Amino acid sequence: MAGSASVIEDGSRLSRLDQMLLRVERALALVSGLAVFMIMVFAVVSVSGRNFFNAPVPGYVDWIEQLMPFIAILGISYTQRDGTHIRMDMIVGALRGRALWAAEAITVFVMLVLMVLLIWGTWAHFQRSFDFAAPLWSRDSSIDIALPLWPAKLAVPLAFSVLALRLLIQLWGYSRACWLGLYHPAAVPLIRSTAQIAAEEANAIGQERSR
Amino acid sequence: EWNASLWGSRRAFTEHVEKLAEIVNEKSGGDFTINISYGGLSKNTENLDGISIGAFEMAQFCAGYHRDKNPTITVLELPFLGVKTLEEEVAVSNAVYSHPAVVDDLARWNAKLLMPTPMPQYNIVGTGEPLDKLEQFKGMRVRATGGIGEAFRTVGAVPTSVTATEAYQAMESGVVDTVSFAQHAHLSFRTIDEADWWTENLNPGTLNCPVVVNTDAYATLSDEHRQILDDSVSEAIDFYLENYGKLLDRWEEVLAEKEVQKVTISDEELAEFRRIGGEPIQLSWIEDMSAVGLPARELYELVQQTLEETRAK
Amino acid sequence: MTSIEIGLWVSGLLVALVFLGMRVGFAAAFAGLVGLVWIFWSKRGYDPAMFGWALGVAVKTAGQVPHGKVASQALSLIPTFILIGYLAYYAGLTQALFEAAKRWFGWLPGGLAVSTVFATAGFAAVSGASVATAAVFARIAIPEMLRSGYDKRFAAGVVAAGGTLASLIPPSAILVIYAIIVEQDVGKLLLAGFVPGLFSALVYGGLIVGLAVVLKTIGPPVRGFTWGQRFAALPPALPILAVVVIIVFFVYNPFGGDAWGTPTEGGALGAFIVFLMALFRGMRWKELKSALLETAKLAVMIFTIIWGVLIYVRFLGFADLPGAFSDWITSLEQSPLLTLVLILLAYAVLGMFMDAIGMLLLTLPVVYPAVMALNGGEFVSAEDSAFGMSGPMCAIWFGILVVKMAEFCLITPPIGLNCFVVAGVRDDLTVQDVFRGVTPFFIADAITIALLVTFPSIVLWLPSLA
Ligand code: NA
Ligand code: NA
Repeated sequence: MAGSASVIEDGSRLSRLDQMLLRVERALALVSGLAVFMIMVFAVVSVSGRNFFNAPVPGYVDWIEQLMPFIAILGISYTQRDGTHIRMDMIVGALRGRALWAAEAITVFVMLVLMVLLIWGTWAHFQRSFDFAAPLWSRDSSIDIALPLWPAKLAVPLAFSVLALRLLIQLWGYSRACWLGLYHPAAVPLIRSTAQIAAEEANAIGQERSR
Repeated sequence: EWNASLWGSRRAFTEHVEKLAEIVNEKSGGDFTINISYGGLSKNTENLDGISIGAFEMAQFCAGYHRDKNPTITVLELPFLGVKTLEEEVAVSNAVYSHPAVVDDLARWNAKLLMPTPMPQYNIVGTGEPLDKLEQFKGMRVRATGGIGEAFRTVGAVPTSVTATEAYQAMESGVVDTVSFAQHAHLSFRTIDEADWWTENLNPGTLNCPVVVNTDAYATLSDEHRQILDDSVSEAIDFYLENYGKLLDRWEEVLAEKEVQKVTISDEELAEFRRIGGEPIQLSWIEDMSAVGLPARELYELVQQTLEETRAK
Repeated sequence: MTSIEIGLWVSGLLVALVFLGMRVGFAAAFAGLVGLVWIFWSKRGYDPAMFGWALGVAVKTAGQVPHGKVASQALSLIPTFILIGYLAYYAGLTQALFEAAKRWFGWLPGGLAVSTVFATAGFAAVSGASVATAAVFARIAIPEMLRSGYDKRFAAGVVAAGGTLASLIPPSAILVIYAIIVEQDVGKLLLAGFVPGLFSALVYGGLIVGLAVVLKTIGPPVRGFTWGQRFAALPPALPILAVVVIIVFFVYNPFGGDAWGTPTEGGALGAFIVFLMALFRGMRWKELKSALLETAKLAVMIFTIIWGVLIYVRFLGFADLPGAFSDWITSLEQSPLLTLVLILLAYAVLGMFMDAIGMLLLTLPVVYPAVMALNGGEFVSAEDSAFGMSGPMCAIWFGILVVKMAEFCLITPPIGLNCFVVAGVRDDLTVQDVFRGVTPFFIADAITIALLVTFPSIVLWLPSLA
C-alpha cells in the first residue's frame, strides 16, 4: 500500500495551477489540524471546569460533533495532491509509461465522477439543514444545546469542490503524460519508485550540463 | 414492499413497529411487507432526511434530536407538562399530531405522522444520598438534554453533556451524579446498575419519538393496503402498551433486586420545581415559537386540554 | 435479480476497483453509490423513466454519509491519538525511551534489538498508529544497531515488527475504529489491547534472545551501565507513564475506585500533556504547524476510508448482505472454532494485499455479525455460547484477534506497509531487505495469535475486571 509520493513542480501552466491550488489546500488542512487542537483544548477546559469549578462546558458533545466534519474532510484535497490516500498499487506499480498514465487517468476520472455526484448529494444534505427564513438560518440542530448544523454540513461540499478541482488538474496531468508519452509529468503524484527514477534522471541531466 | 428505518436493536421502544409489520403482513396475505432495519438504512438523527429523500418509506425519530427540524412537536417535550401515564402520552401525542400546523411542519420533510412511541417520564437515577428537596439539586451534575436539562438548570443543577452510550461510564466515573432516561434506557444503558436511588414521581418530561411514513409512498399504496395500514395502528399501539407495561413490572423487580431506593418527592417541592423550572421554560418556548409564526400557544393549550379530557374519561 | 445478487456484483466491482489502484475510500464510496442506484432502480422494475429518480435518491442517500457519520464524539479519539504520536516525537520521548530501554535491557543476548522492541512497546503507549512508530524508530534504533554490528536486514525487521505493537497497546486508532463499526464499548476494547500487546512484545523479545544465542548476524549485548545510569535514564521517559496512567484511569481505575472520566477525555488530556512536554522541549509554532498538518493528513486519510466504506455499508444495509452472509456462515456444518480460524486465515491472505484499516472497514460489516452469530448471538451467555464467552466478550476477543491479524499484515509481503516505511526512511535498505529481516517475526506473530485463540483469557481478563 503506497504512502505519500512526490509531485514535480516546474514552470508550466499546469504546475502553476497545481501550486495555486496547493495554497488553498494547505490552508484548509491547517484549519483541520487546528480543529484537532481545539478538541484537545476543549477536553482540558471541560475536565478542569468540571472538577475545579463544577462548571462543565455546556454542550461539550455537541461542540465536538461540530468540529469532527472539519477535521475529517477539509484536508481531503491536500491529501490527494501528493497521493497520500491509501490504495493498493500492486498492479499500477508494475505498469510503466503510457499504460501507467492511462490507468491513473482512468481511476482519477472515476473519482471525479464520484465527487461530482457527491457534491450534489452533500449539497442537498446541507440544503435540508438550511433555511434563510429561520432563526440562525437553521433547519437542523444538535440534540443538547441546539447548535445549527448547517456550517459543518456546508464544509463537506466545499471541500469536495476543491477536491474536484484537484482531480481535474490530475486528470489533465495524467492525460497529457499519456498523450505525449512523458516520463516524469508535473503536477501529479508519482509512485515513489517512479519518482526516484525521475529524480535520478534529473540529477544525471544536471551533471551532463555542468560538464 | 416497504423499508422501515429504526436504530439500535429490537426493544420495548420498537415493539409497535414490529407488531405493525406483523399485522400488515398477515392481513394482506404477504402482499404488503415492511422490512425493519436497525441502523442499516440511516443514522438515527437523519431518519427524517431519509424520508424526505424517499430512501425508505417508514421511520422512527425523536423530536428532541433536532429541534429545528420539527419545532412544532417539541411542545410534547416541554418539561413538567404533567403527563403521568403512557395512555396520557398517547392521547396528547395523537392530538398534537393531527393539528394542521404540525402536519405542515412534517410535510416539509415529505413525512406523514403515523403513530407515537409513548415513553414514560425521564425520571432520574443517582448515586449517593437520595435527592428529595429542591435545594439539594444545587451543583448536582445531571445527564439530561434539551428542555429537561434546562429545567434542571433552573434549580441550580448542572446539565452535563454525555452521549447515551457513555452515560454508564460517566456515572461510574463521577462525570455525572445523575442520569435522566426512560426506564427501558436505564435498563439497556445499565445506568440502573450504578444507581442508589430513582425518582418515582419527579416526572420532569420525556422525549417524543413518532413513527412517520413517506407521503408519496403512502399515497401510492393501493386503497386496500392503505386501509390495512391505517387500521393496524391502534392494535400495534395496544400491543406496545401491554409490552411496556410488562417492562415496567420488571423495572419494579430490578429496583428491588438491586436495592435501589424509590424517592418520592413531596407535592410542595414538586409544585415549586414546576413553578421555577417548568412554567418559565414553557412560556419562553411559546414566545420563541410564536416569533417564527407557529401557533405555539394553541399547541400548548391543546396538550393541556387533551390531558384534562383524558383524565375526565 | 435479488438484492443479494446485486450485493455480490457490487462487491465484485469494489474488489476490481481496489485492485486497479483506485484509492480505497473512493472505490468503496463509488461501489456503494452504484449499488444504491441499482437497488433503488430495481425497486421500480428498471423502468427507464425512473432511472433519474433512482440516481437522485441514491446520491442524496450517499450524500448524508460523509457529514453524518464522522460527526461523532467517539471518532474524535482518532485525531487526538494521531496528534499524540507526532507531539511525542517533538517532545523527545522516542529518544528517551530508546536510551532507557538500552540501559535496562541491553545486557540481554541481542540486547539492542530487545531494547528496540521494548522501546517501541513503550512508545506504543502514546502513539495510536503503527506506521508512525515504525518511521520514528527507523531513524533512531537502526543506526545504533548497525554500529553494533547487526545485520542491516534484521535491524530493519525488528523496527518494522516492533512498530506493529502501537495498534494493540492503547491508544490505538484501529481499535477505536473497530469499536465504532461493531458498536462496542471503546474503553473496554482499549483495555483489552494492553495485555496482548505486552504479550506480543514479550514473544518478540524472547524470539530475539533465542536467535541471538543461535545466529551470528546479531550484534553483541550492550553491557556496562551502572544502576545509577539506569535510573538516570528514566525521568526523561516519565511523561509516557503519565499518559498511560491518564488513559487507563479515564477508562477504568485499577485500584477499585471511580474512573476519572471518559475515554474521549482521556485521549485528549494525554495529548495535552505531551503537548506541554513538547513546548518545554522547544517546540514552537513552526513544529506545531507541521505536526498539525501531518495529523490532519493522516486523519483525513483514515476518515476518507471510513466514510467511503460507510457509503458501501449503507448500500449493504439496503441489500441486506450481512444478514445473508451470517445465515450462510452459521449454516456451515463444521465446528465454529474451525470456521473462526478459517476467517482469520482469510484475513491473513487479504491483508497481504490490503491496508489494515481498509481491510477491517471493508470486511467487518459482513464478517462481524457472522462471527457473533457463530458464538450464539449478541446476547448469548458464556454457558450457551460456542466459544465459551458472552456476546460482548466475544466482540472484544474477536476485535483483538482481527487487529492482531491486521498488524501481522503490516509486515507481510507484498505490501506490508511498515516494511515500506522502514525502507523509505533508510536509503541503504530496499523493501526486499526489510521483508527478509522481518521473516522471523511472522513466526512470533503466528505463535501469539494461536495462543490468543486458544487462551482467550489473555485478552479478556482485564476488560472483565472493568
Ligand atoms: Na498505541
Ligand atoms: Na530505501
